[in-house]
Amino acid sequence: MGADIRFNVMHFMPFVHLPEDHKDYKTTWVNFPNKFYDPEKGYDLYQQYFEQLVLADRLGFDAIVLNEHHNTVYSMMATPNILASALIAQTRNARICVWGVPPNFMLPNRLAEEYAILDVLSKGRLEIAFPLGTGMEYWSHPVSPVTAREKFKESLKIILQAWTSDGPTTHYGNFYTYRFLNPWPRPYQKPHPPCYIVGSGSPETIELAAELGLGYSSVFVPQKVAQELNQRLRERAAHYGHTIRPEQLPLLNFVYVAETQEEAEREYIIHLQRFFEDYARSSPQWLAPPGYLSVEQLKIRSAGADKMHGGFDFKAISGSFFIAVGTPEKVANLIGEWTERMGTNHINSVMHVADMPHWKAVKNLTLFAEQVMPRLRKSGGAR
Amino acid sequence: MSKFVREELMVNDVRTVVHTAGKGDPLVFFHGGGTVDGFEFAQGWTDQFKVIVPYHPGFGESGDDPTFTDIHDYVLHYLELFDMLKIDTMYLTGISLGGYLAARFAIEHRHRVRKLVLVAPYGLDVKEHPAIDLIATPGEQIVPKLVSNFDVLKKNLPEKPDMDFVGARYREATTFARLFWEHPFDPKFPRHLYRLTMPVLIVWGQNDKVIPVEQVPYWKARIPQAEVMVVPGAGHIAYLDKLDTVGAIARFLK
Repeated sequence: MGADIRFNVMHFMPFVHLPEDHKDYKTTWVNFPNKFYDPEKGYDLYQQYFEQLVLADRLGFDAIVLNEHHNTVYSMMATPNILASALIAQTRNARICVWGVPPNFMLPNRLAEEYAILDVLSKGRLEIAFPLGTGMEYWSHPVSPVTAREKFKESLKIILQAWTSDGPTTHYGNFYTYRFLNPWPRPYQKPHPPCYIVGSGSPETIELAAELGLGYSSVFVPQKVAQELNQRLRERAAHYGHTIRPEQLPLLNFVYVAETQEEAEREYIIHLQRFFEDYARSSPQWLAPPGYLSVEQLKIRSAGADKMHGGFDFKAISGSFFIAVGTPEKVANLIGEWTERMGTNHINSVMHVADMPHWKAVKNLTLFAEQVMPRLRKSGGAR
Repeated sequence: MSKFVREELMVNDVRTVVHTAGKGDPLVFFHGGGTVDGFEFAQGWTDQFKVIVPYHPGFGESGDDPTFTDIHDYVLHYLELFDMLKIDTMYLTGISLGGYLAARFAIEHRHRVRKLVLVAPYGLDVKEHPAIDLIATPGEQIVPKLVSNFDVLKKNLPEKPDMDFVGARYREATTFARLFWEHPFDPKFPRHLYRLTMPVLIVWGQNDKVIPVEQVPYWKARIPQAEVMVVPGAGHIAYLDKLDTVGAIARFLK
């Protein structure tokens, strides 16, 4: 049997204070006016979110996951490395996962340096994911979505080269020229921290992960699709001579635990609904800037989007995505099923969504650590 | 009026579709940043000219070439195509993006362009009277802005949601973004306009909602000999709103 199951807690750090009339705005991304950001409220929220993540470390979660989004209430983590740096100082055991900075919005050597600093600072607790960046991030940056995939691939090559070859080395590419690629410091972990690619199922991204032998995490795709993507990654990786291990397939999911099923649903569903309807409220134009998708993918996704019209339906959405809401026993059983079906032992759970109050997040984390984890760990207890 | 004949050529490995009709001296028309408007109107020129309407790479019926990252790649493409078609000198017309391309071609190869017609050309960064952002504005909002009388475009649009149509527009938007996402304007372009020493006609719809008619003086200032024709009541694609614009352009060219 493989390694023991691993539990991450992933946070979006949303700015929860939406204006009364926010429904008048078609989306809460890209052009949603930033006058609605209140730094005093932002301060309070950072305090709460850090408390939750530090608590997760104490409760025995294996890892804390941060990510990056711009121009949106969905996330206050525009530069996650800064937050990771603060978290490293406040935590002791949990791995710190920056999943991650889209390399296209930074110079590759600088990103390699930032990650190396975090890895050394944390004595090797860093893990990294490389996202292409959502369509929304391209609308928010002076970087063309048309050449994004090509540039992304070149950035990754540079970063991995910087970590795996002794410098100085050179790189002469289509987007970047390095006459002296020689970043200091270098990562604590050898040859480098565990790396994943994050994606929403584009075949090009899967292929890249397969080629490089990196882990892959699909986000916001239905269960059935996620299963196919994992299978495809294993097959394509084998083609390149790589074997994908279960821990390389983090499974993004939404979890809420309470004493009874009724209580869990009563306390949770409203926040999940607001997450999908308000905080993740994007638009087809934002999701697919020109050239971000192939024409084929655009047609597939546009056809899919047509079918998703209609209000929030908890039953439908929890049947489609990886969502576990209920008693510790029920949640543990569901997660157990997912790990079997998806061929993973790496559970990446979002435990605070949208405007969930602090107390619910604390309760969720605590019940999960004390009553769900032991049911699933081979060792029986928390880490 | 004669019918357009479709021809497919490989231009340096790029599949290029050209529609040709009529007899006479060659008149080349460059379409704009999308192809929903079609080129039927150009039949009005076929009595007097051999009208040549190519699809730019990445648009309409022509193939893609992702290495076309700069408008100059299109200039080089057309140099080759015109050689293949044995067109030495020509009357050159273009609208919007096609107007910008025609101006760029004429700047670099002015001896091949006998007369130049720019219909609401793209390319000048006029801060006081800016064009709408053709990348940030959703396609479904741009199309109604193209003409004053929407009926003239309606027949080219699908009645029901049509994924092939959506895909075709996304492909053209991608080609456009490949050129202009990071740099919508070339700041060096205006300083080369002085080379347009041939007869030039600037045509602009009075009610252009894409690139405002107020940009006319900025072009005129750089091309002093240019004639200007403002079309009352017309939008961005002036000759679709006011069909007699086609004849007026022909009279300028003859």
